[in-house]
Amino acid sequence: MIATQAKRAHAQERIATTVLRMAAGFVILAMALLLIYLATEGLKLFVVDHFSVFAFLFSGDYQPDTHPGAAIYIVGSLSVTLFAICIGGPFGIAVGIFLSELAPLRMSQILKPAIDVMVGIPSVVYGWLGLQLLVPLIRNTTGSPGFGLLAAGIVLSIMILPTVITLSEDAFRSLSPTLKEGSLALGATRWQTIVRVLLPSASSGLTVALILGIARAVGETLAVQLVIGNASQFPHGLLNPTSTLPTEIVQDLGGAAQGSMLEHALFSMAFLLLLIAMSLILIVRFALRKRA
Amino acid sequence: MIAADPKTKLKAADVDVFYGSFQAIKNANLAMSEKTVTALIGPSGCGKSTFLRALNRMHDLTPGARVEGMITLDGMNIYAPEADPVVIRHRIGMVFQRPNPFPKTIFENVVYGPKIHGESNKKRLDEIAEKSLRQAALWDEVKDRLTRSALDLSGGQQQRLCIARVLAVEPEVILMDEPASALDPIATSKIEDLIGELKRQYTVVIVTHSMQQAARISEFTAFFHLGEIVEFGTTSDIFTRPKEKRTEDYITGRFG
Amino acid sequence: MDISVNPPVSNPTLLGSAGVRARRSTDRLATVVLWGMAISIIVMLACFVLYLLVLGVQYMTPDFIFGLPKEGEAGGGIGPEIFNSFYILVLTLVMTVPIAVSAGVYIQEYARPGRFRGLVQFSAEALATVPSIVMGLFGLLIFVYFFHLRFSAIVGAMTLTILNLPALMRVTQEALRTVPDSLREASMSIGATKWQTITKAVLPSAIGPMTTGIVLIAGRIFGETAALIYTAGLSVTTNSPYDFSLGHPAETLAVHLWYTRSESTVPDVARIGNGSALVLLFMVLLFNIAARVLGRTLTKRLTGKSS
Repeated sequence: MIATQAKRAHAQERIATTVLRMAAGFVILAMALLLIYLATEGLKLFVVDHFSVFAFLFSGDYQPDTHPGAAIYIVGSLSVTLFAICIGGPFGIAVGIFLSELAPLRMSQILKPAIDVMVGIPSVVYGWLGLQLLVPLIRNTTGSPGFGLLAAGIVLSIMILPTVITLSEDAFRSLSPTLKEGSLALGATRWQTIVRVLLPSASSGLTVALILGIARAVGETLAVQLVIGNASQFPHGLLNPTSTLPTEIVQDLGGAAQGSMLEHALFSMAFLLLLIAMSLILIVRFALRKRA
Repeated sequence: MIAADPKTKLKAADVDVFYGSFQAIKNANLAMSEKTVTALIGPSGCGKSTFLRALNRMHDLTPGARVEGMITLDGMNIYAPEADPVVIRHRIGMVFQRPNPFPKTIFENVVYGPKIHGESNKKRLDEIAEKSLRQAALWDEVKDRLTRSALDLSGGQQQRLCIARVLAVEPEVILMDEPASALDPIATSKIEDLIGELKRQYTVVIVTHSMQQAARISEFTAFFHLGEIVEFGTTSDIFTRPKEKRTEDYITGRFG
Repeated sequence: MDISVNPPVSNPTLLGSAGVRARRSTDRLATVVLWGMAISIIVMLACFVLYLLVLGVQYMTPDFIFGLPKEGEAGGGIGPEIFNSFYILVLTLVMTVPIAVSAGVYIQEYARPGRFRGLVQFSAEALATVPSIVMGLFGLLIFVYFFHLRFSAIVGAMTLTILNLPALMRVTQEALRTVPDSLREASMSIGATKWQTITKAVLPSAIGPMTTGIVLIAGRIFGETAALIYTAGLSVTTNSPYDFSLGHPAETLAVHLWYTRSESTVPDVARIGNGSALVLLFMVLLFNIAARVLGRTLTKRLTGKSS
């Protein structure tokens, strides 16, 4: 009797394991299909329309239906991401230091949920707030229309803050406490300890935090689109409207005829975005493995 | 106290246990008689727990662990390819060093085994729960709070609950890995009394680091040292007339 | 822990040199700056919430929340959009949870280190890096172009399923990790199979962290925009505040907020925008609080009041 019931349990387990395995396989399938479809569609611009890759990547001459040189958007994406990481990066690391080294419990209990809420706020809402609060502010202080790199950069900095903060805090917390104790015992101040000992020791974790922040910034679409002005021109300075790869996609895909060169160009941009995002994460992975 | 010709319930013959390339148990031979308590004693790290876990195929769950030799239950090799570890663990139960109740109610803990094995009749489950908890000398203390969380119990109570949990599946052999080492003296003596009762019905094999405990509760004792069974015999023989010098040294406290 | 002790003035040798004083004032300055940064985040968040609250609460009428949108004239509501947000959320969860939890359980409890396991983990990590707009385009390519489905809730949900698979897998794996091995041992040693152990002992014990994770992800799904624009569509049926059909476009609230500002033609953009933003914010806070509360309650119920 024990044996028959055990046999039944084993049979159940066999079925269950097969189903679980299929689910795991589905993940691989989804990933593969995504790569295949985006690569196929993304390469049509070059294979079917015979547009040169070099022109796509480096030409600033953007004629949607004949010569879609995407350099404008690439530069736009790079600029806005650079801005975001230069502001949001140090700010985020600083708050990460604050949370792991300075904050009393009561403060953590307020700040951490606040950060959680920030993570949850949809990007459209950030874009909307940028539109309603930030753009008029810029307009009033500088006299420009208000849209452009500055607005988009600030909005993006705020959006990547939670990511950078949480990962930085983790990086600091995972350091051995004896590092801090050793430095303090030698008479260093807290700040000296942070700058000379903790920051360098946590550098790999902080690099991961920054790279993930960059990855988030590169792919962000709608918040940026609402405040950047969406003009097909290079970003001349911080106050002129411009565009990024994602904003251009979302702006023009609706109007692109299926099979047209514009549509192919937009998918090529999407594929480029995918490659950038994935390679960032692969870098993180390999950097981690080397350190470990 | 010991039957004139005790029947062997569980037998280990030429058993080796490896963790990767490290050999933890060398050439172990041991016959455990039914309805008796066999104590496994020895200094820490000598392999007593490793040997115990081989008896119910717990090493199957450890990647890299390998058991060689033969272990038989009622004459049948438990490591035979057609042997089912699930069935074996049903017949050979185990109580661990630290109590590990599930984060469920007391009742749910006790009937976990029977439910897994297909029992769904509510009345039967209630009976099994009461019977097992009585056998584990816990019924009176928990009968009014069966629906409370098992984690609310004290350490000693939790351990008795774990024993009840094993008893509920009606095994034939109960393996105990230092069951009282995490408990206070009062709880320990309750567990020892319990073992005295259990051996009337079950075969018990207990690992203990306390020689006094072994002397108090067991009929047979095996002394382990550096992965080998140095000596085996009746408890009184081992403690009063040890044949091996190493055994004598351990018993008299010269090491371990 | 304050390590900057004030030395007694009576003992001059402990007062230290000018160098020490400079270091200490740098330390104090840095502390002030860091505190300022931390507080500024809280203040900023509070400003956002207050702004939306103050400007949006006046629009929170039943007409707005349940009413139908209008094209070209003022006074539209966001009823169908709210419905679509929930509808797509439920559809997505129904599909993602079984797949992601199964995959997570398989990787964490069953799979042996090897090519398959490595491939699954890699795929999950890679999927996690895909920007949501790109995922939306993938949804467009495969569901709309290849399978010829129409812009609809189901297409949006399927796209969001793939988008959220990695996150939910991670939630599952971490939740399983919180369950100690002694629990698994206790179950296996009574003669349970691994599957029985997982379903009847391990998963129930992990229910707290799992619920928190799922509810938080639900919050993210509710606010998802970029992946839905070209999969769920930009319009809603205009004769009813709810539409269960799987063949009609299903604009969600988040997409509507964007559409209103970017493309649409209604004159009361501020009203619709602020109102929608407030509702979205409110829902996010709700999900956040619910995730925390549920997680804590479930864990407490399991471990008894002593924990």
